[in-house]
Amino acid sequence: MTGGRALVSVRNVSKRFGATRALSDVSVDFHAGRVHGLVGENGAGKSTLGRVLLGIHAPDQGRLILDGSPIKLSGPDEAASHGCVGVAQELSLLPALGVVDNIVLGTEECIGPLVSDRGNRQRVETLVAQHGLHIPLDKKVGSLSVADQQKVEILRALGRQSRLVVFDEPTARLASHEAVELCRTVRELADRGVAVVYVSHFLNEVLSVADTVTVMRDGRVVRTAPAADETYESLVEGMTGRSIGDAYPPKPPTPPQDAPVVVRVNGLGRIGEFSDVSFSIKKGEILGLGGLVGAGRSEVAHAVYGATRASTGTVEISGSRLSGTVEDGLSKGISLIPESRRDQGLVVGLSVRDNTTLPHLRRFMGRFGIRVKQEEAAAGQAIQEAGVRAEGLSEPVGTLSGGNQQKVLFARAMLGQPRLFIADEPTRGVDVGSKRAIYDVIGQLAQSGCAVLLVSSELEDLVEMSHRVLVMRSGQIVAEFAGEELTEANILNAAFDTEHHGNSPSASGSQQD
Amino acid sequence: MTRFVHVLRRYGIAIVTVALFAFLAATTDSFLSQANFRNVLDQQSALLIAASFATIAMIAGGFDLSVASVFVVAPLFALQVENATGNAPLAVLVGVAVGLGVGMANGLIVTRLKVNSFIATLATSFMVFGAGFLISDRSVLRASTDAYPAIARTRFWNLTTATWIAFGVVAVAWVLLSRTRFGRHVYATGGNAEAARLAGIPVARVKTIAFGLAGAAAGLAGVVSSSRSLSALPSDDFSFVFGVIAAVVVGGTSISGGEGAVWRTVAGAFFIALMVNGFNLHQVDPIWQRVIQGGVILGAVAIDSWSQRRPQ
Repeated sequence: MTGGRALVSVRNVSKRFGATRALSDVSVDFHAGRVHGLVGENGAGKSTLGRVLLGIHAPDQGRLILDGSPIKLSGPDEAASHGCVGVAQELSLLPALGVVDNIVLGTEECIGPLVSDRGNRQRVETLVAQHGLHIPLDKKVGSLSVADQQKVEILRALGRQSRLVVFDEPTARLASHEAVELCRTVRELADRGVAVVYVSHFLNEVLSVADTVTVMRDGRVVRTAPAADETYESLVEGMTGRSIGDAYPPKPPTPPQDAPVVVRVNGLGRIGEFSDVSFSIKKGEILGLGGLVGAGRSEVAHAVYGATRASTGTVEISGSRLSGTVEDGLSKGISLIPESRRDQGLVVGLSVRDNTTLPHLRRFMGRFGIRVKQEEAAAGQAIQEAGVRAEGLSEPVGTLSGGNQQKVLFARAMLGQPRLFIADEPTRGVDVGSKRAIYDVIGQLAQSGCAVLLVSSELEDLVEMSHRVLVMRSGQIVAEFAGEELTEANILNAAFDTEHHGNSPSASGSQQD
Repeated sequence: MTRFVHVLRRYGIAIVTVALFAFLAATTDSFLSQANFRNVLDQQSALLIAASFATIAMIAGGFDLSVASVFVVAPLFALQVENATGNAPLAVLVGVAVGLGVGMANGLIVTRLKVNSFIATLATSFMVFGAGFLISDRSVLRASTDAYPAIARTRFWNLTTATWIAFGVVAVAWVLLSRTRFGRHVYATGGNAEAARLAGIPVARVKTIAFGLAGAAAGLAGVVSSSRSLSALPSDDFSFVFGVIAAVVVGGTSISGGEGAVWRTVAGAFFIALMVNGFNLHQVDPIWQRVIQGGVILGAVAIDSWSQRRPQ
């Protein structure tokens, strides 16, 4: 299958981000004229590998070999000078500039010191004609649809005599007919002799477009094989199949049928994000919410919490209806651990104490302002319960490790003695040791009678921690699994738009072989 | 080593202010005289009043340029009221209220219309300056009673009431920022508005109030200043706000919000005041004074951004 020497070889590459091992000892060959698919769960390292190829991340260990000779890439510009370019998941276009200007950006044709508009336009027109990617050249990029913007990005990559193009989730935001068109473009690229690296969540798409597929898991390569030898099921198995061991605490006991319902969500919807979401969580129950990134899980979590206003539907806590503000949610006993702890959770410049007590300050008010001693005692106890390892309460939260930062958010939540605890991706970017501590805290919260809504992209988390799992796709709940049916494969099948299977997700329990 | 850097970063401004103090005491005879001190404190009163609350606005993530216009125009309103009614306390109240009103308007523009605070307060500054010319009919207003000048010029334990008012305002701002819920909310809002919002903090309200208080303090500063000089003059002079921002920034409060303290601004104000005082005592050419002052401000901000870029 391998047509001679690889264009780019990755040899024994490892990469760490803080305490997280993003890549461990990864070796893959990428060949000219082939589409090479990279698949894996969120956090498996596929995007990181793509970024190593593009010079965005420098490997801690290992080598990159281009055309048989080892190279070091100091940055994306150097990678580009070797012909390695990327089409990013988040587009890197300048919306206020025109299509032509965006495509030639950085490689403008000039006459002396002046940019030659005519020369650039001709170049772009040739490019468009060559590849059949038609877009209105006179428009500003900001006014184009996402699909057209993606084409601009692709044309930019094509315009630089690329030899290797990395696509990172190129179809995540495209409609299905646009995705089909994109796949055709990708094939054409390969037929012209370009090495294409294709990172995607959509397994069927990868199977149809790729010649070779590398399956990744936990930063390691599981296997690299011809796409023809893989099936949807074999990829899922490769991505998820692993020994679980004692990474997880035992599940807290399933609450009895007649346990009181803590939260009831009825017909919740928000225009453009999700619709008709209904569920309830009992006292002591952990409800998992699964689905792909962008399926609307975080949006639902935020609307339940009151951080965004739902356009339809209601949320009730122990029978009383929420007004849809954070203050109301907090006062009725909801705590949220947001998805991005640095952007949405912590104020990194402030101390551990200030971050822990931030929403609960009212409780410590005395006649002369905040009663600091009382506050510190409460914060100290909370961070101990959450297992935060910090030098002291006055340490700035920004100096803690990712896992400990996350635990500070747990301490904050526990200080509120929540009745409903919502955790959005609580273990993202957290090292293994801290993960276990976080699972323990979630288990304890449930055992103490709290209702838990666990949003996670990690299938294992959902299966091992939840009593019941709801799966979302395109803003709707499409499946519910509990008991025997609660398996990683079932969740994954329901989360992907499995044209391949063509049946209702709830019937997919029989698909493991 | 890291501990040393930490302390230096944290208390640097206090250390250099004390060092400057010692230097001036050692190199000049008149620096340590009571009269010189009293003068420095009296001269700094208006700046301290305005800067202590401008600090709070800046920590909340708001950049308030309108402080200068309020400083100029609030006393014009106050003196018109004083001339008409002869009631000095009422005049003070009106001056502060004008500032509060402008500040709240700034806050609402920034939080509701989502206009960048620098631009918003620049725009309102012009409007307020204009209002000053209108209310004063483009002429100097003078105090008509003895009570109005007495507000700032009375002596208490050898210090002017202007100084005592400044001490009082600084103390209030200090306690407000460091001991109250509002103060914590200010830090959180400026440090990470989204995280603050998700923690249940009414971010827009916190910012609006911070702007309102900064305006009110600037109004009071203007009244105190006019009481010291017995008069007020309409102008469109932005220089007061530059002094305020210099004090805040040299103290080490971050322009991007979320970090800082009132004591820092006090230290920054005194550092600049002592520097100017030292220049005068050493008879440095006033033109060179400006050049050096500019360099010092630049240095302070550069150190701030350098230390933030370094991993903590």
